[in-house]
Amino acid sequence: MSSTSHAAPVPLGAPQAVGAPGVLSRWRVPLSIAVLCILPWVLPSQALAVNVLIYGLFAVGYNLLFGYTGLLSFGHAAFFGGGAYLTGMAIVHLGLGWFPAMLVGVAGSSVLAAVIGALSIRTRGIYFCMVTLALSQLVYYTALQASNWTGGENGLRGFTLAKADVLGLTVNLLDPTQKYYFLMVFAALALWFVSRVLNSPFGAAIEAVRENETRARACGYDVERTKLLSFILSGALCGVAGTLSAIHLSIVPLDALHYHTSSIVVMMTMLGGAGSFFGPFVGALVFLLIEDVASLWTSHWQLIVGIVFILFVLFLPKGIWGTLIAWRSRS
Amino acid sequence: MTALMQVENVGRSFGGFVALADVSATFEQNKVTAVIGPNGAGKSTFFNVLSGVLPPSSGSIRFKGQEVTGLKQHRFAHLGVARSYQITNLFPKLTVQENVRVAAQALRTRYNLVQNRAAFPELVEKADAALGHVGLHAKRSRVASDLAHGEQRALEIAIALVADPELLLLDEPTAGMGPEETKDMVALLERLASERTILLVEHKMKMILGLSDRILVLHHGRLIADGTPQAVQTDPEVRRVYLGQNDGYA
Amino acid sequence: MDLELILMQLFSGLALGAILVMVALGLTIIFGMLGIVNFAHGALFMVGAYAGLWIASLTGSFWWALLVAPIAVGAFGMLVERVLIRPLYKRTPDDPLLLTFGLGYVLVEAVRITFGTDGIPFSAPDALQGVVDLGVGYFPLYRLFVLGVVAVILLLLWIALEKTRFGLIVRAGARDPLIMRVLGVDVSRLWLLVFGLGVGLTALGGVLAAPMRNVSPEMGTLVLAEAFVVTVIGGMGSLLGAVVAGLLVGVAVSMTALFAPEMATIVMFALMALILLVRPQGLFGRPGVGA
Repeated sequence: MSSTSHAAPVPLGAPQAVGAPGVLSRWRVPLSIAVLCILPWVLPSQALAVNVLIYGLFAVGYNLLFGYTGLLSFGHAAFFGGGAYLTGMAIVHLGLGWFPAMLVGVAGSSVLAAVIGALSIRTRGIYFCMVTLALSQLVYYTALQASNWTGGENGLRGFTLAKADVLGLTVNLLDPTQKYYFLMVFAALALWFVSRVLNSPFGAAIEAVRENETRARACGYDVERTKLLSFILSGALCGVAGTLSAIHLSIVPLDALHYHTSSIVVMMTMLGGAGSFFGPFVGALVFLLIEDVASLWTSHWQLIVGIVFILFVLFLPKGIWGTLIAWRSRS
Repeated sequence: MTALMQVENVGRSFGGFVALADVSATFEQNKVTAVIGPNGAGKSTFFNVLSGVLPPSSGSIRFKGQEVTGLKQHRFAHLGVARSYQITNLFPKLTVQENVRVAAQALRTRYNLVQNRAAFPELVEKADAALGHVGLHAKRSRVASDLAHGEQRALEIAIALVADPELLLLDEPTAGMGPEETKDMVALLERLASERTILLVEHKMKMILGLSDRILVLHHGRLIADGTPQAVQTDPEVRRVYLGQNDGYA
Repeated sequence: MDLELILMQLFSGLALGAILVMVALGLTIIFGMLGIVNFAHGALFMVGAYAGLWIASLTGSFWWALLVAPIAVGAFGMLVERVLIRPLYKRTPDDPLLLTFGLGYVLVEAVRITFGTDGIPFSAPDALQGVVDLGVGYFPLYRLFVLGVVAVILLLLWIALEKTRFGLIVRAGARDPLIMRVLGVDVSRLWLLVFGLGVGLTALGGVLAAPMRNVSPEMGTLVLAEAFVVTVIGGMGSLLGAVVAGLLVGVAVSMTALFAPEMATIVMFALMALILLVRPQGLFGRPGVGA
């Protein structure tokens, strides 16, 4: 023990939060919103911007579980698709307005997350990912079979929203720009919420669980309950993304629940940098840009995405944003 | 003297293997008790049972008069039992200060999503105090995994200390340390010994004899001796068990 | 509903289950030894089916396909272990998992490019066409053949695991990876072999399954989920569990198809959920391992 060594003088002052320190971290929510505001004007198409918005939020929700709590789920399509389906079904079958329908979607995906989370947390370590995958397949096949409610293979159709009344204003959802900013409001709220969670004592607790379950337990954390709560929050956020996707597309394809959708969010989060605030959005942007550009000259863009992903796992496991942070803090 | 923890006829088996059999002991406040025994004697199992990691297969444990047998491990922490680990067991990517702060937080607020961490400055103060105690205050902004081995062991103790536990279980606090580092650790333990109830697993005999008020000797999962360092040293059964195991007296 | 129909369905459930056993055993062996969940396992099953298809079309013989495809895909698996997975052993278990997941993604797309996105029918050889009378009813000959092949493979595996030094090490290692270091085993060569064996088993499952269903690039996705279900039900890291649970799931799916076809796929996931509730370590798993 070198209690007497003076090797590294550390400036006194306010303790810093762990993670990307400094300005970027403190202003992360306004910064994200600013970037999201200009996104439709800098990307090749507005359609791409909406996708970055929706999948970015999906990845942010996923990252809460994977990046911050350290649980690798391969079943998050259940919450994204679940949110989308429930929103659509609430409009089609229950005749609800857009806002109550959104609430139904988010509440429903939270409940779904509570059930799937409670089951999969019963297994430890690496089996977690197998159980989440299998249970999300259960949701997929249930939606496929319950075609009276879900439209089965054809997906859920027939709930085009032309406009939405918000606080006396009428948003024309057939206008892409208005629709983008309408959806962005919800994404911004979700981002603000995530940022708050990460700064909260609970945010510290999930990081402790990720870093060392045994020690967290010895310190007095109920590890299972902490994981479950994180799972539910993550599912709810992915449900918000799914809800936005339903409103954006006016249909819910069955693919929203497919394993492929779970895969996409894992890749986006990994590419951008798991466990960083901006990483998931960066990952979604890069993933969708590759898709957008590569699909112009080949229908097999997934091969490129897959190879890029493998190279990242091998050589840049911290992802784009995570690597940038690491460089910055080293220099 | 008040009994802090009472262990009655505690046993623990894994499948057919009996790791701990019929151990009874009472731990009194502000005493340092060392648990010794050859490798495989059941010391780790004993510690795991006392800290709630493993429920005992038989027998009962009372803490401050309350039945705690079979409670989940995190409940033990809330009642006032803290432990360190033989293998360094930290939150490696968090800063030194956050390692300790998050440990203090566990007893204060766990599921609070609404407030900011900064709303609990007393946790930072507690963490800094614990770090000061083990001599790591100057390194509190470092990432835990960057610390030297001895410093990590000290951090390990700080994490346990910050809970202000009534019972402190230390599993080989000097494991893997060189002579210099060991000296620092012993000094730290001596400071702690005057004000805390400590249960200690150690192999370094000289250190145990200097620190402990009492020694328990485990062998093949059974308690074969329990007494003052002097009494245990001269116990014929203990001498027999340790005969030819001179490394135990290193 | 007559008895003969139920028997036939039970029997085809066993054949279905036998394929799952191949896939789940491969997964379990790899996990037991290397501590890696091979997410490319479903894709390699699919690659096995396509390799069989391709070899059969080259040689005109199903038998060559059955022999060569698993070996070739197994060899590919060894290459993957050496080149891609090896650099990741020092990292967390999530990293090899993510890598194999990416590999699966790439394999599916590579097969789409090579063989097209549409399913390809693949028929059993003439010698295995038709049905056979077993006294209690008529059974498709090919499914009997599948059961036979899987039984032989299980017997060979059993001999290899119980009677050879290799098997001793694999069994010991699956129970406790630390034992390997104590025994002084050349771990890197062993892992190479085990990964190849596990991949070979799933590829064999793919070739065997090919005549029973359409061969398509997506066929591996459901198989991967099925293999996970079997592993969870059977018990983490238990070879016996993989065999029993594989057959059980096959029969459960098949019997459900008889009574409530729309529930057929759902039932195995529900079965897994039930197991997680009442016995999270699985039927043959030990408490504390994975649960």
